[in-house]
Amino acid sequence: MITVQNLSKSFGQNQVLKDISFEVNAGEIVVIIGPSGTGKSTLLRCLNYLETPTSGSVEIGTAKVDAACATNKQISSLRKQSSFVFQNYSLFANKNALQNVAESLITVWKEPKKAALEHAQTILKQVGLADKADQYPSQLSGGQQQRVGIARAMASKGEVILFDEPTSALDPEWVEEVLVVMKELARQKQTMIVVTHEMQFAKEVADKVIFMEGGHIVETGTAKQIFDNPEHNRTKAFVARAAKNALTSFDSSML
Amino acid sequence: MQTSLDVQYIVELLPILLKYLGVTMEMALWGFFFALILAVVLAVIKVFKVPLVHQAAGLFISFFRGTPLLVQLFLLYYGLPHYIPALAGMDAFTAAVIGLSLHFAAYMAESIRGAILGIDKSQMEACLSIGMTRLQGMFRIILPQASRVATPSLMNYFIDMIKSTSLAFTLGVAEIMAKAQMEAASSFKFFESFLAVALIYWAVVVFFTRIQHIVETRLNKAY
Ligand SMILES: Nc1ncnc2c1ncn2[C@@H]1O[C@H](COP(=O)(O)OP(=O)(O)O)[C@@H](O)[C@H]1O
Ligand SMILES: [Mg+2]
Repeated sequence: MITVQNLSKSFGQNQVLKDISFEVNAGEIVVIIGPSGTGKSTLLRCLNYLETPTSGSVEIGTAKVDAACATNKQISSLRKQSSFVFQNYSLFANKNALQNVAESLITVWKEPKKAALEHAQTILKQVGLADKADQYPSQLSGGQQQRVGIARAMASKGEVILFDEPTSALDPEWVEEVLVVMKELARQKQTMIVVTHEMQFAKEVADKVIFMEGGHIVETGTAKQIFDNPEHNRTKAFVARAAKNALTSFDSSML
Repeated sequence: MQTSLDVQYIVELLPILLKYLGVTMEMALWGFFFALILAVVLAVIKVFKVPLVHQAAGLFISFFRGTPLLVQLFLLYYGLPHYIPALAGMDAFTAAVIGLSLHFAAYMAESIRGAILGIDKSQMEACLSIGMTRLQGMFRIILPQASRVATPSLMNYFIDMIKSTSLAFTLGVAEIMAKAQMEAASSFKFFESFLAVALIYWAVVVFFTRIQHIVETRLNKAY
């Protein structure tokens, strides 16, 4: 359902993504791990054309965009096939929780306002925030904001939801409630690509784990393969370090 | 030479001048209304860097900020109709409103553009990520947030515009300044007449400055 071919991205002289190719099937949960500065965020952003790749193609559902001949129309149809959950939530500051979720239903999918708000309310309920509908982002805790962020992504009817370190900006006390929502989505077979440092989450829900380093995909496998039996030394080193950090620290943000 | 201030004259002149305040305020309100629309359009064009139009917008802003309002009003009312006959029928009030709109739009566009650029770029990315177009994101998410930031300075421009309407008397608009000028010419009490009109402008500006403070307090409270 998702096919990425020979994707490269440079910022000036700095080549951040080097010839990335992979596939994701419908209903799969793919977790991307790797050290910071490796290009994980850039990869996710390229999938949604928030960054324009230097070369290569991205295909999601019925939309395909090749960087060599991308048109605005193709990009806009690609964006409708996916939605994004941001590390820092990026909720619309001038809209309350309900309006944040309803926004795409109204402006993109042209649902009548009343129906869109009802629809948005049921999605807010799924993330456990039915009672926070009229709160503005600044009035919500980090965990609540990120759950609204997930609800907003769910509402936008994309085939896949892209998560860029959804719990990294959260105080430890709010991490679990966000992971619970994500696990529930995984159970419903919502296709997801998740960049995260939460190794336990990866082990529990990932159908496929991609280890990235230095702009390359070093290794791809099941969670079991990557965490228990990695082929590459670099993967081994990273996984060992992550496991050690998890043992010695309760603060996941230190990873 | 007259030495004492004729307070009685001022007190009697105030109500006469106040009758013309309506015209002044009408000019300011229409001028601000059109300036605001034009300023938003110019700001969005500049932020999106729309090809060609973007350069034209830059030139427009540069010209209207770079030349005196009085010169612009004269060009528009006394100059242009020679070349564009359709403008020949334009009355002085309309010309003044157009001139004020163009002039202030140039300044307001820059302040709106600054406010737009001040909004975190992740807000637009969030719009795009759920499938909205840049234009939808601009009008539904970015501009509403930017307008909060820009409101205090836009209100300053409105206050400035009220004062600038006094230049319209040079086109022959029968507004408050024109009336004061006429009264002064017939009574020879120049100081009293212009003091009276100054007091009225001052009171109006103080009134709108109060409103500005109230609005700012409200804005700081909302979301
Ligand atoms: N907009 C940008 N302009 C220039 N360099 C960037 C930009 N975004 C990311 N980079 C660079 O790309 C590299 C990869 O960044 P990123 O994708 O954020 O890595 P990760 O998410 O794996 O930590 C970093 O070296 C970063 O400095
Ligand atoms: Mg990142």
